[in-house]
Amino acid sequence: MGHPDKTETTPAAPGYREAKRRWETEYRPQVKGDDVRRNRSGIELKPLYGPDDWDSARYMADLGLPGQEPTTRGIHASMYRGRPWSPRMVVGFGTPEDYNKRMRDLYALGLTGLFVSPCNSHLRGYDPDEVERELLGTCGTLISTSDDMGVCMDGIPFDSESISVGDTAPYTLTAMLIKVAKQRGIQWQSLVGTTNQSDYLSHYAALHMFYRLDLPGQKRVLLDHIDWMNRNVPRWNPISIVGQHMQQAGATPAEAMGLTLSSAIQYANDMIERGKQPDDFLPRFSFFFDISISFFEEIAKFRAGRRVWNRLVRERFGAKDPRSGKFRFHAQTSGVDLTRQQPLNNIARVTVHAMAGILGGLQSMHTDSYDEAICIPTETTARIAVATQNILREEAHLGDVIDPLGGSYYVEALTNAMEEKIMAVIEAVDAQGGMFAAVKSGFVQKMIGQSALAFQQKIESRDEIVVGVNEYVYDGPSGAVPPALERPDGKKLDAYLAKLHAFRERRDAAKVAEALDRLGEAFSSPTTNTYEKVVEAIDAGATHGEVCHRVREAVGFGQPLVVV
Amino acid sequence: MTRIDPGSAEAVAVLVSRLLSGETRALAKAITKVECGEAGAAALLAAIQPHLGHATVLGITGPPGVGKSTLIDALIAELRCRGKRVGVLAVDPSSPVSGGAILGDRVRMARHTGDAGVFVRSLASRGHLGGLFRTAWGVIQVMDAAGPDYILLETVGTGQSEVEICDYAHANLVLCAPGLGDDIQAIKSGILEIADILVVNKADQPNAATTVSQLQGMLGLRSAAASGVSVVTTTASTGEGLPALADLIEAIARDRTTPAGRRRGSRGARRALANAAGDRVRERALQAEDSSPIDALCERFARGEIALDAAAAELVRLVADGEDGGE
Amino acid sequence: MSSPGLQGGRPAKVLVTKIGFDGHDRGSRIVAAFLRDAGMEVVYTGPWQTVENVVNLALQEDVDVIGISSLATDHLIVPKLMEALKTAGLGHIAVVVGGIVPDSEVGLLTDAGVAYVFHPGASRDQIVNTISGLAANARASA
Repeated sequence: MGHPDKTETTPAAPGYREAKRRWETEYRPQVKGDDVRRNRSGIELKPLYGPDDWDSARYMADLGLPGQEPTTRGIHASMYRGRPWSPRMVVGFGTPEDYNKRMRDLYALGLTGLFVSPCNSHLRGYDPDEVERELLGTCGTLISTSDDMGVCMDGIPFDSESISVGDTAPYTLTAMLIKVAKQRGIQWQSLVGTTNQSDYLSHYAALHMFYRLDLPGQKRVLLDHIDWMNRNVPRWNPISIVGQHMQQAGATPAEAMGLTLSSAIQYANDMIERGKQPDDFLPRFSFFFDISISFFEEIAKFRAGRRVWNRLVRERFGAKDPRSGKFRFHAQTSGVDLTRQQPLNNIARVTVHAMAGILGGLQSMHTDSYDEAICIPTETTARIAVATQNILREEAHLGDVIDPLGGSYYVEALTNAMEEKIMAVIEAVDAQGGMFAAVKSGFVQKMIGQSALAFQQKIESRDEIVVGVNEYVYDGPSGAVPPALERPDGKKLDAYLAKLHAFRERRDAAKVAEALDRLGEAFSSPTTNTYEKVVEAIDAGATHGEVCHRVREAVGFGQPLVVV
Repeated sequence: MTRIDPGSAEAVAVLVSRLLSGETRALAKAITKVECGEAGAAALLAAIQPHLGHATVLGITGPPGVGKSTLIDALIAELRCRGKRVGVLAVDPSSPVSGGAILGDRVRMARHTGDAGVFVRSLASRGHLGGLFRTAWGVIQVMDAAGPDYILLETVGTGQSEVEICDYAHANLVLCAPGLGDDIQAIKSGILEIADILVVNKADQPNAATTVSQLQGMLGLRSAAASGVSVVTTTASTGEGLPALADLIEAIARDRTTPAGRRRGSRGARRALANAAGDRVRERALQAEDSSPIDALCERFARGEIALDAAAAELVRLVADGEDGGE
Repeated sequence: MSSPGLQGGRPAKVLVTKIGFDGHDRGSRIVAAFLRDAGMEVVYTGPWQTVENVVNLALQEDVDVIGISSLATDHLIVPKLMEALKTAGLGHIAVVVGGIVPDSEVGLLTDAGVAYVFHPGASRDQIVNTISGLAANARASA
């Protein structure tokens, strides 16, 4: 080949080739001949990386400096020196009062990012009195009215701290938050936060619980939401594009990143098709990922993803504003990696997850509680999870140096290899006609399902070891506090339902009916912004379920595409 | 309490009367009995013979991914609006390696699960080739006895060689998606011949009109026998075109009382018997013990000592002898 | 001689489903594939089923075993399913639950008649063998 041997031209490494040859002759006899190791994305790992694996002459093109193209080393010049990542915990259980109390406690412990996670009945688009009681309030908070949101936010500084709402189409929680801000005289136009479950493509492909409307309807409602929020609440992120669901469902880290970027490309194209300029909406795109325990792979995934996105926005969309290419993301430690066996071991796992996320340059993080594989996190275990982040920041000083692994031969080579894998996924989705078409046809679901099955088979065959599950099994006492599911107590639930009924009695019924009718009608006019009508309906006193029903009537109830 | 043998004449009689009275549990059990050839299956089929013939049986076939299940879902909705009761037999392929199967067709028909006028049963092909399963003829009869107006028979959907369905059904719907040249090829090579109604589904996609005119062109080249074939377009996801399709189907249901319609139905029994006999001969030949007469015949054939046709005739005779001897 | 999927001439027939609102289906998809690979016939539904739906599915499909996947506390609805199955004359069907069920609530399910609760980390062989055995019993007592 015409390429000169890079090691010959690396001045820092005279004699490297000779030394490496000697190392190889010593190394070979010490390992089994068939010792081939691959990471979860299928990249073969060498036992050693050196100057021949990474061309430092490409430094400026591939890495640059923090805050500069292609942002591989971080999206901000100062990273955690300027502003540490935000511990942002998903909190959701019980009644609005329960939520408020837990939130205040965690806030006192150093939480800076807020998060609202509603009950599954809410996620599926119902008011709590429409569904079976057994299903209420165990997996998220009961929120069906703006009054409920008011109780949740009592004493919580949602006007000064960014808030993430687990809000899926048609985004009633965001509308309720806006109403609460208005009621409290807060400048609602300057709210900062994220509509955290608005990425319907990922829900359709990998997590059906957030998926409510038929695909085309979902698309319309989301684009209206992005457009309305961009114009009215400019510092709000109306979309967080989610790789977490897909990776938790079984996608490899490279697949999850590639598919997420494909979704982002789809949303950007959809907005451009509406006549919007890329630099108008791209700065408000944000992302949400899973962090598995495959430590270096996750770090490389985040670094590669940041670089790919930064290039894509310029090359595909011609974005000029540097903010458009900033790959801002929240990440959550992997629940799938946690074990029911010997649950205290999970504290070690979560620590590794969290380190990978921090070294990968995330902006905010949820650390799982150690009992997450057993039940919904309790207060005690959630406190340990927050403390884990505090320890990594304050005691381990992980935030002191920006991108501390930058320049590591291994990490840079792995970042390049992950980028190749990620690009291959993006190209495969492009060939399907984009992410919308690829989830509609089941292409994405098949990819994820196959990877999930392949990984499980490795565990069954013990090619992949899970401590305490298929190796190092120990049946003795775990020492963990026996977890009990915290369930909303019956009386509290009754009181909640009574409050909901009183809310419906109290409001101006004619005004609500009129607002809901206008919402329904908005769907027959392609130029009316439907989200504006959602905000107006909530303002008028409509409940979450009422809004969802009206939107479903207009665009159809989504059914999952079941692909086995 | 002593359990009554479920294969006994007494138990079968009870099951039949419950089946005829429209009891869902009895229908489900009777299907299993006939599907799996459990004890009492023959007696059950004999007992229901006087009660057959009400249902119009429609075959629904076409290549994978063309939307058969979704079309059935939409067709059920349309037929239910017209007050018709519907039974569905949906066949999925069994794994040739494990023999297991994932039966997922009814996922697309989920909205009808709670409707007492709809009964859906998922079945696995269990190695049977031809798009259905070995005991399909009997299972269709069991379903008929329960009294639905229509029985929709969804094939595995391999696209080709699913001709047996045309002997079991009063009419066959062949589905194709617009714009796919390969589908057209598949249709040309076999199933176009068995279509009574050609359905171009996903009509909201571009090329639908082209596909329709291509199909009409192909039909035009064929004999007068094909002149009765209709080409319709549907969009199952929105329900568009379904009323017209249902009109066609209802016309077929009325028309099958004509001599032609009756003749068609009677070929089913013949086909079922021929298939079963073929399966039996095949099994015996493939599983013949070493140095048995069948094994010896196979050896002679392998050495080229006997011609194919002669060997096949000999094999049938040997299998028949074995049956007589009761093995 | 016979595969674990085979019960008296017919493969074991299993309904794999989810009740409630939760949409996590990684586990149920993998279990469905394991059962198929063990020779069973699996009726697979999407998530969000109601108790009434599951009873109707079990009734029409004449299944031997129902497997409920639950990862978001939806298992609390399973006692209602057990009641409804009995009322529908389907008491012979074995019901198993897999997913996240706290130890303290396993009794709630087994008292209601659930035959087995699989926890995270259950192996393929354990799942296949348990379900296969339950299917044989259910068939015998149908």
